[in-house]
Amino acid sequence: MMRRVAIVEVALSPAGESADNYLDQVYRVCREVLDKAGITREDVGTVVSASSDVFHGGVSCANAYYWDSGAAFLKNGTRQDGESLLAFSYAVMRILTGHYDTALVLGLCKGSENPDNDMITHFFTDPFYQRPLGLNETVAAGLQMRAYLEHSGTTEEQCARVVVKNLGNALRNPNAHRKGRLDVDTVLRSPKVMDPLKELECAPKSEGFVALLLASEDKAKKLTKRPVWFRGFGSSMDFFYLGDRDMGSGVLAQAAKRAYDMAGIRDPVKEIHVAEVTEPYAFQELLWYEGLGFCGPGEGGKFLDTGATAPEGSLPVNPSGGVLAANPYVSRGLCRLAEVTLQIRGQAGERQVDREVETGLAHGTHGFAGQFHAVAVVGA
Amino acid sequence: MARAVAVVGVGQTRYGNRSEMTYPDLVREGVQAAFADAGLGPEDVDGVVFGTMPSMMEGVAMTHFYFADALRAVGKPLMKTETCGTTGMSLAITGYYWVASGMADVVLVVGSEKMHEGDSQATMSTVAEPFFFRPFTSGAPGIFSMLAQMWMDRHGIPEDKARDAAARVSVDHHRDALDNPYAHIKKAVTMEEVKGAPVIVYPSRLWDICPNSDGACAVIFACEEKVKKMSGKPAWVKGIGFCGDEYWFGDSDKVSWDGARETARQAYEMAGIRDPLKELDVAEIYNPFTYVELQHYECFGFCEAGTAPDRVLDGTFSRGGELPCDPSGGVLCSNPIGATALVRVAEAALQVTGRAGERQVEGARLALSHGLGGVAQFNGIMILGAEQ
Repeated sequence: MMRRVAIVEVALSPAGESADNYLDQVYRVCREVLDKAGITREDVGTVVSASSDVFHGGVSCANAYYWDSGAAFLKNGTRQDGESLLAFSYAVMRILTGHYDTALVLGLCKGSENPDNDMITHFFTDPFYQRPLGLNETVAAGLQMRAYLEHSGTTEEQCARVVVKNLGNALRNPNAHRKGRLDVDTVLRSPKVMDPLKELECAPKSEGFVALLLASEDKAKKLTKRPVWFRGFGSSMDFFYLGDRDMGSGVLAQAAKRAYDMAGIRDPVKEIHVAEVTEPYAFQELLWYEGLGFCGPGEGGKFLDTGATAPEGSLPVNPSGGVLAANPYVSRGLCRLAEVTLQIRGQAGERQVDREVETGLAHGTHGFAGQFHAVAVVGA
Repeated sequence: MARAVAVVGVGQTRYGNRSEMTYPDLVREGVQAAFADAGLGPEDVDGVVFGTMPSMMEGVAMTHFYFADALRAVGKPLMKTETCGTTGMSLAITGYYWVASGMADVVLVVGSEKMHEGDSQATMSTVAEPFFFRPFTSGAPGIFSMLAQMWMDRHGIPEDKARDAAARVSVDHHRDALDNPYAHIKKAVTMEEVKGAPVIVYPSRLWDICPNSDGACAVIFACEEKVKKMSGKPAWVKGIGFCGDEYWFGDSDKVSWDGARETARQAYEMAGIRDPLKELDVAEIYNPFTYVELQHYECFGFCEAGTAPDRVLDGTFSRGGELPCDPSGGVLCSNPIGATALVRVAEAALQVTGRAGERQVEGARLALSHGLGGVAQFNGIMILGAEQ
């Protein structure tokens, strides 16, 4: 019999550029989450963080740098690099074994202190074939968007509507980095970045410090009246070279199936009540709807047009504004999970969705055109 | 609750300058060796854990993308664990938890490094933050030399005696590496050669210091139910420990070294070990420098504080001694950093399953493997045993 694991508390930093240093920002979210739960650092069993090195942080082995500020001094801890939702799943594993009753999960990214994401992601390329081409995540996204539009018949207007929705949602999110009351024409007229991608369809580069306190069932019930339970997790990795892949479908459906199977979800569009997805490029939100099984293949644009994913819809997606509104590259997956947690607890303030939320989904992706996907399902 | 977990296969590449092949090919060599050893294929694996040193080391960021195919990870769940020099041990611990938690039954764990394609000491200098620390921190030798000097001073160990003991460690390991087909440095050295070698950072001399190696290591972990269906001998995970201490080097005491001691305490408690010297049969200590190996003997309770030189010189930790350490030649003779601590796990697994060839410690049933990383900030331990 598996133990149950719950998210007890969350803390999220604002996503705009901060004058505070990295260590202060780490400390602040740790302090906040422990204070909310009414426990001290000594009560924390293990610390699992997510961060990245040199390019994303300016230091190598970033986990060394923030170890003490991240509440991990003289504790058993570890770190995931790349996709921060993995830190969540790893902390869940640690509690499931019974070795720990509490785990602190951290996602850390100080976007304002490092180069553009395009520069950083350029270094994901192999040095021989791809790097001389100048490939980076935005170039890959441009290629993927073109393929998606052609194969699915999705229109550029539908893609632009994702921006209108998400940046509009961000107006109600005090942590958002970018927000605005836009119309489709404004998005379509914004400068072309990597045809057919437009500037407003690409996420900014943001800061994001996020902490979640996890606990075993017994412990969680002592620490909070509103635990949010872990229900399922899945991830999947795709081929490295874009030419080896089907960029119009990819491995998100595999990751989602693993999470749904674990959570016992058979009809996600009915059983998921809110989703926060990682859409660094607007069209990807539509493509991810399809991968997550919210609609059929090629129907992402139509699904958006039904209004289902608006805050007042049946399955609101990115009520926080999503990654288009705030993009701390490494920690963005955990930020999604923190937002979903707030929605389930009814603590999302002005961005609280209209419908009742019992089950939520958080999605993270990194790498070119969604090379890696992770999906977490949590519930009341 | 935690399920029983065992190592069911290990794969190592030959360590050294592997400029004859690309980095993904090197990773693939280690992965295929582990599959062959376990009698499994990629289709039998539920997930892949991968990690290396930071991206500066090889000029490619987030190498799990680049290596997805070589790792046979396409279509599979993956975890990317990195904790600096302890990466290899943190990888093994990730594999353990993935299986022990019931979230996977069989997990492939891979670590790698291709150090001839980068500048390891420049990379390590960037582990130090840019304002206070980096201007006076230059790579690993300086840090470990400070450790050695603090340790000798604190315990009043005569420098000559410490020098002799460290030289003995070097002589032993270089001889041991001759028996290890994967080892990078294969050269027997004498006490005189070690003690007369050029000083790199005092008191460390050339033969006190590990090489830069290319290499990959892969270890397959499986749950009890799967292990029972396999024909090979399993190496059961008996204990794990991991601990990090202060980031700021000046704040920490690396002689009493609370982090190293706490790591061992966790692992011994889980494994039910009370007297490590008596109960352990072999240990693979993460020893990039001879002097730090001596310190770990003390921190891990193999001997009293300040007595490591005596125990080394009386042969306690040599082949044939009471607790042979690093019969593989250790980190001192092969150091592909992202893989290095995982190599310690692989060697421990080979020892307790009686498959370590010429370097086999007779009758080994319980083995300790160790990883060390950060600016001497992190320690990790995994104890493997022949019995469940």
